[in-house]
Amino acid sequence: MSFQIFDLSRSITKKQTVAITGLMLISFVLVHLAGNLFIFDGPKPFNEYAEHLERFGIFKKIAEWALFLVFLIHIERVTSLVVQNIRAAGGLKRYAVDNSRGPRSLATRLMPFTGTFLFLYLICHLYDFAWANDQGIRSMINGKSLGLYGLVVNSFKNPIHCWLYVVAMYCLCLHLTHGVESFFQTFGIQDSRFTLLVRKLSRVFALMIMIAYSSIPLYVLYILKI
Amino acid sequence: MSKKINLTLKVWRQKNCKSPGAFEVYEAKGIDTDMSFLEMLDVVNERLTKENIDPISFDHDCREGICGTCGSVVNGQAHGPVKGTTLCQLHMRNFTDGQLIVIEPFRAKAFPVINDLAVDRSSFDRIIQSGGFISIKTGQAPDAHSLPVLKGRSDSAMDAAQCIGCGACVAACPNAAAMLFVSAKVYHLNILPQGEPELKTRTINMVKQMDKEGFGNCSNEYECEAACPKEISVSHIARLNQQHRKSNFT
Repeated sequence: MSFQIFDLSRSITKKQTVAITGLMLISFVLVHLAGNLFIFDGPKPFNEYAEHLERFGIFKKIAEWALFLVFLIHIERVTSLVVQNIRAAGGLKRYAVDNSRGPRSLATRLMPFTGTFLFLYLICHLYDFAWANDQGIRSMINGKSLGLYGLVVNSFKNPIHCWLYVVAMYCLCLHLTHGVESFFQTFGIQDSRFTLLVRKLSRVFALMIMIAYSSIPLYVLYILKI
Repeated sequence: MSKKINLTLKVWRQKNCKSPGAFEVYEAKGIDTDMSFLEMLDVVNERLTKENIDPISFDHDCREGICGTCGSVVNGQAHGPVKGTTLCQLHMRNFTDGQLIVIEPFRAKAFPVINDLAVDRSSFDRIIQSGGFISIKTGQAPDAHSLPVLKGRSDSAMDAAQCIGCGACVAACPNAAAMLFVSAKVYHLNILPQGEPELKTRTINMVKQMDKEGFGNCSNEYECEAACPKEISVSHIARLNQQHRKSNFT
């Protein structure tokens, strides 16, 4: 009898790595959302929350690097899977007639594209808010610096910026629609009786995330008076 | 009532896996609608032979939908447009007079073309071989109920055992993954007491061999289930994922 060795390169293990890192990223998305929603309370609670996070010091740095690592693993594993898939199928153009019968959805087809777009947007997003000077000119509202709150409000008062954010959240919604559902299948916590329920619930979850996140720039652009 | 229809076939012709293939167009005239798809190809081949053209190669054996030998992609769908049937059980009444039918082989790196529509699916055989043996007592017939199996388990095992290994799941999967096939073959043994002792090695070895053969990875698009002539459920893939995870950690 041959004995198995724990092998990270096996196809199922690779997918499960993607699934588990995906779950970690989803939990980050939820925590980040909870913090973001302080913006509806005005400048003080929002900035206080941001300062509160800063107080964690070294632990915040460790958490950030861990998150970065999770991102890298997620992206690297997915890239390797996609390359293998294209090779296995013998290229991108496979059949003369593209006429699939199954439930393959738009979200599923677009997974690599929504993922890539989100990654690129994330870099812009970090550049905009996380790496920007929150006491600088971009944080000024009516001649007074309002810290991170000012930075966010000034950015989203620009319609292009605001709608780019909404588009990114739509991509996140599509990505999560397939991602959450896939998590259950890939980890085998799935049964044919629950397939449809899991699909519906992941759609609802993804839609809620999109609505909650998008409400922030839309509120700033169309409702908030400064 | 059967009637006669005329069809235009656009068929993939390829000498072998090393030479490039191309589509050729043939007319199929006076096809009886009670014929099966393969009988229609037989009629076309007879005419091609008379005209000194190489007949179209295609795999077939039982022509009863139980052996899993036949299979081509017809108008973009593995085994053609009817759900839950093999190509040999697809009848020409499902097509209309004057219709264009595009016929291609199952395309995957792990299924190299032998000739025209015939592909080499021995990668499936090697996956089965890598699964190894099961533990059963040989000799006299065992007493009834000496190995009790729960009804639900035996039903599940039978559902999985319906897989005829035709390869439609690979052909339909956008990633050419063989997960539905492997999961069905792993699961119908793993769930029964006869197959349980080797559960871990079987699971790991068959998945390893699947990777080695160059199949793609499942991205949960469920095209395989829709194309499967035996309508095997993707929940078997979930079970394989689960058993692989558990086998990995012990």
